[in-house]
Parts: sequence; C-alpha cells; structure tokens
Amino acid sequence: MRSELVRIYKVVHTWTGILSGMALFIAFYAGAITLFKQPLVHWATPPASASAIPLAQTPTLIQRTLASHPEATRSFELDVRGDAAHALEWTRHEPHADEHDALSVRHFMATLEADGTVRSREVPRSHLGELIDVLHRVVGLPVDSDANRYLMGVVASLYFMALFSGFVVLLPSMLKDLFAFRVGPNLKRMWLDAHNIVGLGSFPFHVVIALTATVFAFHDAIYAAQDMLVHDGKLGALLRGDAAPPEKQPLDPAKLLAPDQLVARITAVAPDLELTTLRYMRVTGPSPTVFAFGHNPRALEFRALGGVIMIDPYSGRIQNTAYVPGQQGVPETVLTSAFALHFGSFGGAPVKWLYFVLGLLGAWLVYSGNLLWIESRGRKLKPHVAGGALPEQRRGVRLMAAATVGVCLGAVCGISLTIVCAKWLHGHVGDLNAWHRGVYYAAFFAAIAWSFLRGGARAAVELLRVAAGLTMAIPLTSLVAALAPSLGMWTHTEPAALAVDGIASIIAFGLLRVARATAKRVYEGRLDSVWSAPRATSSEAPDAATQAMP
Amino acid sequence: MASVGRDWGSKTLAGALLGLSLALACSALFARLAGGIAPPIRAQLTMWMVMPIWLSVLGATYFFESGKRAWLWLALANVVAAGLLAAARMT
Repeated sequence: MRSELVRIYKVVHTWTGILSGMALFIAFYAGAITLFKQPLVHWATPPASASAIPLAQTPTLIQRTLASHPEATRSFELDVRGDAAHALEWTRHEPHADEHDALSVRHFMATLEADGTVRSREVPRSHLGELIDVLHRVVGLPVDSDANRYLMGVVASLYFMALFSGFVVLLPSMLKDLFAFRVGPNLKRMWLDAHNIVGLGSFPFHVVIALTATVFAFHDAIYAAQDMLVHDGKLGALLRGDAAPPEKQPLDPAKLLAPDQLVARITAVAPDLELTTLRYMRVTGPSPTVFAFGHNPRALEFRALGGVIMIDPYSGRIQNTAYVPGQQGVPETVLTSAFALHFGSFGGAPVKWLYFVLGLLGAWLVYSGNLLWIESRGRKLKPHVAGGALPEQRRGVRLMAAATVGVCLGAVCGISLTIVCAKWLHGHVGDLNAWHRGVYYAAFFAAIAWSFLRGGARAAVELLRVAAGLTMAIPLTSLVAALAPSLGMWTHTEPAALAVDGIASIIAFGLLRVARATAKRVYEGRLDSVWSAPRATSSEAPDAATQAMP
Repeated sequence: MASVGRDWGSKTLAGALLGLSLALACSALFARLAGGIAPPIRAQLTMWMVMPIWLSVLGATYFFESGKRAWLWLALANVVAAGLLAAARMT
C-alpha cells in the first residue's frame, strides 16, 4: 500500500468518523439495549392477570370480539404459546402517524371471562422498549419518520465509509500492529491500539450493521427507484408473489378455521417452529392471511419476533413458507441472513449476549474515535518554545470534547433515568409514555448543557458519576419495590427480569470505574490537554511545568 | 509513478453519482438473470444489493489517481453494465 493512499484514507476516516461518531454512539448504546427489549418491557410493566384460556375456546373469543369491534378485522393477534391463549389484541394507528412510528399506536385487548362474556379494553402499553428502539433507529431523534430515517441512512453511510477507510489505513501495518497493545506512558498510542483492536476484531459485525442500517433507512427510496427503472412498475405484484386474486365478497369471520386447526396444519409443515403468535390480517378480505410467528433457535430467523409462515385462515392452505427458519433455500437464506445478522436473531441467547457486548464495544469504538480526534488536535507543552507556559487548547477542540461527553453520557443518563421512571412514576402520572420521552430528553439536553458549561473534562467525571448512579438506580428500584410493597411498585422475579437488574448493576460499576480513572486523569494528569482541569489550589500553579513533563 | 491527487470533490461526486447508477444497473442485471429465484425474494435481493455496491464504489473511489480518472473508469464501468443489461434484455 502506498503511503499517500494511506494518508488520503486517514483523512476520509477522520472526517466520516467525526461526523457520525456521536449519533452512532446513541445508535449502538440504545441498540445493544434493544436486543433485550422484551425483558426490559416486562421489567417495566406491572404484573397483569390475564387468565389463560384453552386454544379450543378461542373461536368464541375471536367471533365475539370481531362482532363488537369491527376495527379489529384489519389485524389482530392471538398469543398461542404453549397451547393456550391469553388475549386477543389489536392496535389502532393514529390517522396521521408514519407507518413505522410505533410510538403513536394504541393497544387494545379482549379476554374471555369465566362466565363466557368478552371483556375488551384499551391497554396502556409501556413504550419504554419502543422509545429506546426508536432512539436506536433514528440516531437519538424522537420520531421514526421518513426524514429521520434518511438522516440515519446518511449517518450509517458515513459509518460504512469510516469502516472502509479505517480498514485501508490499517492494511499495511496490520500484521505488525494487529496484536500490538502498547501499554505505557504514551496514552494516545494505547488508546489508538485499543481502538484498532476493537475495530478490527469486530470488523465483520460492523460492516454488516452499517450496510443493513443503510438498507433499512433507504429501502423505500430504492424500491421506488427500482420500480421505475428495473421492474417496469410491477414491483407490487412481484413482492406479493402469485397470490390468488382478491375475493369480491366480504368474507364471514364465522367461517374462520379454529386456531387449533391452524396450529395443527402449521405444525405438520414446520414441526420445528415453536409458535408464539398468530397475526390475522384482513379477515373479512381481500386476501385474508395469518402470519404465524415462531422460534427455531437452531436456525436463522427473519425478525426479532422469529420466523414466519403464512396460512389462509379459511381454507387452511399454507400460503408461504419462504421465511420458515431451517427450511429455506439458498436465496431465502441469503435474504434472511441480512436481517438476522443485524438483529442477532440466530443461535438463541448466546448470540444475543454476543451482540450486546459487540454493541457496547461499538459505542466505545466511536467514543474512543472522538477522543483520538480530540487528542491529536491538542496543543502540547513545548517548554523550550513557549517558555514553559501552558498552551491554550483550541476552541474547536474544547467544544468537541464537551459535545462528545455531553451527547454520549447524556444518552446513557437519559436511558437509565427513563427506565427507572417506569416504576417510580407508574400510577402517579397520567401519560407515562409521554413522561418516558420527556424525561429522556430532559436528561439528555441537561447533560449536554452541563458539559458545555463545565467543559468536557470536569463534565466527563461528573456525568459519569451521574450515569453510574442513575444506572444503579435500576436494580435499587427493584430492591425498594420488593422491600416496600406499599409504594405500589413491583419486582418481577423471572430470570430475564432479574437479568435486567443484574446487567444494570454491572454497567453501573463499570461506569463508576471509568469515572474514577477519568477523575484521576482530569485532576492529576498532564496539564497540557483538553482533559485537564486540576482542582484550583494556590501551590499548584508553579509546579505546572514540572508536572507536565512526561 | 505519478502521485495520487486528493481531488476530494471530484472523486466523491464520481463515486456518489456513478456509484449509484452502477449499483442500480447491477441490480437490474441481477433481476434479469436470477429468474430462477421466486419473484418476492428476487425483488428483495435486488433492493438489498444496491447499498453495498454503491457504498463500496464510493469507498474505493479515493484509490483513483485523480478525480478525472475516477470519472473515466466509473463511466466505463457504467457503460459496460448498461451494455450487459441491454444484451440481457434482448435475449
């Protein structure tokens, strides 16, 4: 590799990285948490008592609910884990909301009571998991809209360019430097080594995440362009496949096959699929279908929800087996891989944990990238030139340090605080979901403001301590809830919910350790750096020059 | 050996514009030639391949010795892809 190419790609790496870094930190941190969205939402939701009914009784529930709530015919879901159903659920989108905007969806459910009557009600669903997922999908913005998704697409494209150029920069020295981790007085060298090790070590993961993220962001636009240029306007028909022509007459839901019959037919075709949910679509026509979601942990799964098989709820005809995990041909497997490799929806729990670690490392990767950008633009003390006076750091560098600290730690603080609020505010505020969003952004912007006010160095120490405290408040809240039931909070004791508390404790201790190391650097480290802010004492000033010597 | 020019604007624009048209042409070629794949899957794979090709071209565009060369080579690649596409449409 010619050295001038390396220099060119170093410039590409620096600027694509610094432009996308802070947005990517939020995407990674929130994305890592989104891997455990379901346990987190369960942690945040008070125990509900929906009694299970045998699958055989569900036709009654379906008929009566559809009769009294015609809006549910568009789409409803039946939870069918373990041969029993709990409730029939449907949603209503606000009329003007974006189709991807899950935060403006209202949830309803109907249950079959012991006396045979159907009871239906709106269920206040915790949007906590969705809020964090949306932060992940649109780089910390509040709404999953077209414009925000395109912005995410630009960020993800910059991220891919940073990966490409970073790889090119490392290529020539890869064999020499790959496992070099030079611990020593040259802190910047050590951070650079760590940045390279983490970046190269998780390179395939990052390439996959970056490319899939750009596709998720731009897919509507690409489909629209290809519909004109490639498919001669027939894309809709192509994606639908050779579906039967839609029925003219509205269909009668009374003639629906019973769910246990559907389950039996599906099991005959896909014996390894452990069904979780039947999602009925357009039961009165046209083209009624049931998406049957289920898991097969030994195979690639299309979505975080699992794989899917489609069945006609009237005839029982299997309509589509392209996304049944473990039963796919090569093209289907390639397509499913693209999704599964982003969501970590293969290999079961171990891969989820691996992705969690890789996601947190990704957040660290972009954070360390920003630190290196800042560090290499810092002004060093030159005793022979400036007569030993401390150089003043550039304004741009100081502002970037404050922004990096404020945005990154602000996101960490905001997410932890909004999780904690799920329990403390439950029952005390009217619209908890609005509070979740408000609390997150209040903490996020407060942290940014604080960081600019105090400067990056001091704010880093203080915000790390706050982040550690807020994150520790997650398990402490569960503890308080268990010890003082009169507060009206709850503590779930399933392993998955306790794992939320456990992981939060580990992250809190990690943040505390980082806070301690940062405090040492800020208060006692070299003075000729943007990361130095010694506590003001009268005796310190004359020593400045000597302390600063390496 | 001539030194590699930076030509940031020229190279970036070549990679962004001609990379996109090349990616779309490649995806059209795939849609033509992969007739054995079920239409819904084929249409999705056709969509999926655009971003990887586009961004790889954009990433590699700084390897060119100059912005002019980037435009020339990428235009040539586009012509070749368009030619193959036209040939595939005729058969």
